[in-house]
Amino acid sequence: MALPQSAYKDREFLAVIGDEDSVTGILLAGVGHVTDPPDSQRNYLVVDQKTETSTIEGAFDSFTKQRKDIAIVLINQHIADKIRGRVDGYSEAFPSILEIPSKDHPYDPEKDSVMKRVRKLFGE
Amino acid sequence: MAEGLFYNVSGGYVEGIVRGYRNQLLTSTSYNNLIQCESIDDVKLQLGPSYGDFLSTLPPNPSTSSLADKTLDKLVAEFRYVQANSTGSLAKFMDYLTYAYMIDNVALLITGTLHERDTRELLERCHPLGWFETMPVLCVATNVEELYNSVLIETPLAPYFKGSLSHQDLDELNIEIVRNTLYKNYLEDFYRFVNEEPGLKGTPTQEVMSEALMFEADRRSINITLNSFGTELSKQDRKKLYPNFGRLHPEGTLMLSRAEDVEGVRIAVDGVYDYKTMMDQTGMGGGSGGGGGGLGNQSGGIGAGDEGKSLEDLFYEREMEIAKLAFTYQFTHAIVYAWVKLREQEIRNITWIAECIAQNQKDRINNYISVF
Amino acid sequence: MSGAGDREPVFPTRQSLGAMKSKLKGAQTGHDLLKRKSEALTKRFREITRRIDEAKRKMGRVMQIAAFSLAEVTYAVGNSQIGYQITESVRQAKFRVRTRQENVSGVFLPQFESFQQEGVDSGFGMTGLGKGGQQVQKCRDTYTRAVETLVELASLQTAFVILDEVIKVVNRRVNAIEHVIIPRTENTIKYINSELDELDREEFFRLKKVKGVKERAAATEEEARKKQARRESDKENQQANGEDGETKNVLGDEGDEDVIF
Repeated sequence: MALPQSAYKDREFLAVIGDEDSVTGILLAGVGHVTDPPDSQRNYLVVDQKTETSTIEGAFDSFTKQRKDIAIVLINQHIADKIRGRVDGYSEAFPSILEIPSKDHPYDPEKDSVMKRVRKLFGE
Repeated sequence: MAEGLFYNVSGGYVEGIVRGYRNQLLTSTSYNNLIQCESIDDVKLQLGPSYGDFLSTLPPNPSTSSLADKTLDKLVAEFRYVQANSTGSLAKFMDYLTYAYMIDNVALLITGTLHERDTRELLERCHPLGWFETMPVLCVATNVEELYNSVLIETPLAPYFKGSLSHQDLDELNIEIVRNTLYKNYLEDFYRFVNEEPGLKGTPTQEVMSEALMFEADRRSINITLNSFGTELSKQDRKKLYPNFGRLHPEGTLMLSRAEDVEGVRIAVDGVYDYKTMMDQTGMGGGSGGGGGGLGNQSGGIGAGDEGKSLEDLFYEREMEIAKLAFTYQFTHAIVYAWVKLREQEIRNITWIAECIAQNQKDRINNYISVF
Repeated sequence: MSGAGDREPVFPTRQSLGAMKSKLKGAQTGHDLLKRKSEALTKRFREITRRIDEAKRKMGRVMQIAAFSLAEVTYAVGNSQIGYQITESVRQAKFRVRTRQENVSGVFLPQFESFQQEGVDSGFGMTGLGKGGQQVQKCRDTYTRAVETLVELASLQTAFVILDEVIKVVNRRVNAIEHVIIPRTENTIKYINSELDELDREEFFRLKKVKGVKERAAATEEEARKKQARRESDKENQQANGEDGETKNVLGDEGDEDVIF
């Protein structure tokens, strides 16, 4: 059952979708990366009230499907809620999606896609 | 003391107003009430008497940042009012106060332009006190050279750019170096202004403001030195960022420019008792402390309670002391400066307390600085 | 009867019976092995799930502390522009992950490992140079630790997703063997056996028939030969006794009936 190495070999970045504070903090850890010009793709998206859901979806799809260099996608839970359908529907192993809490929205295990699966498996 | 005879002719009203504002500042009793709060709504309620009008538009349980924005709005409104009523040297003095914020705003716009962001979005992020009429013009600039030219033409900051920064510098230098170069030039200019302006020379303003600005200059020098350890900032470049005045100037800054570690900084500030005490308090003293000292100590970290304040905290405390003392003088513009600083600290305090409450980190809530 | 159950399309021969029997045996061994594998994986899976549960809760706390350290930065720097400064000054990632694999009962589980890329300037070295730099540094450390925790959690979660998938596949196989392949093979064996029995019976009956036909044929021949012999002896008697007319049956068994076998 070994996955082909190509599925993860080049994946070495983390991507972030979150509110400004979460993104700032995680970028401070040195996660941020902008690919070489001309396309200059960033691996993070700052979401505020004005950000369209379609933008979030676009970023999510780009991080999960198009880009092959991302190993983990971090997403604020309250933002994941906005695109819950996509997040729940995502079942690939790579990249791994991690729902993280934000400053104003403490973590709620009830909503987490993976935790939902955990609970389903144990029949709770 | 001749200024006492005539100060009130032009500045008396403003001074009265500012003293009134100072009396509105939160006292330790208010802070004690604030830290008892259980939610942001409680905080909002407690702030009612002093901030009522500004907070009334907030939704229930607002975020701490929107709370901070509203408290800042009050400062801005009051500042604008004072500014509108000021004349002569006071008006100029208040312009100088806004330059500090302008520097931050311009730095922000430069960052935006460098990364080809839509700079219009940035306008709302700019600090309102640093707003100047022609700021939107800067957003038209699409590249750094254009921006540089507009800054030179349109902003009062032109003299700070001229001579020390070229448009290539904006492109190549780290934005922090640009910002600190500007700030150094600004401080020096401000210092020159309070010491040489005919209306201010020989008045208490010169006395108080010199002290305040010297402290500010020293604080920046020390901070820059401490923060530059482990970065690519060379000693020569670092030296260029030190303002050319202050209690540390010139020997202290010279030693700072040679400092390689925290110990070097300590030796450099040894000559000035106040800073020496601060360094000792933070455990960075090394000499009398447990030896190990170093940066590790001052990052007491979360959960460590109030054990060991950071140097920055101590600097803030000292700043507040200076500001508080400024109010013991009469007939001086310095109280405007002092009031702005006090209010800024108050906003920081409120944000801090709100943040502690919102994030349930009550054990650190006492880290605010209460002045009165 | 043997056609009622699902069976394999084979000719009911002894050879295919042997093949089926060994297949059944193989299926049973395979079933046992897979079942054991599935149990081992499920054990591991439950462990991972428990750890995820813990780690997710831990993450809540870690992130809270990290968010708080950012609040400290805001406090020290005194304005909210720092966020923008940081998001805009990103250049190259210093904090990266590499993936290695861990073998659990024949399943390769990826494990993320964070590392600091050497020689890369993340672009925030000087953030807060004039003010708040120490807090920024502290915040960076806090967040680096927080993100490391997140990376660990991501490993667990990926392991969870993969194991979940693998266990499903294994369980499907176990079930397939248990509920389809084994009954089917057994059915086939039963069918072959019954067909073979049927063949045996037919053969026996056929043989018996053949034997009966042969015996009848033999009896008729005998009869014919006897008659022939009688006729010949009668002729001799007539010739020998002259007027005697009729002679008595020498065997004296005229009244006997033919014995039929």
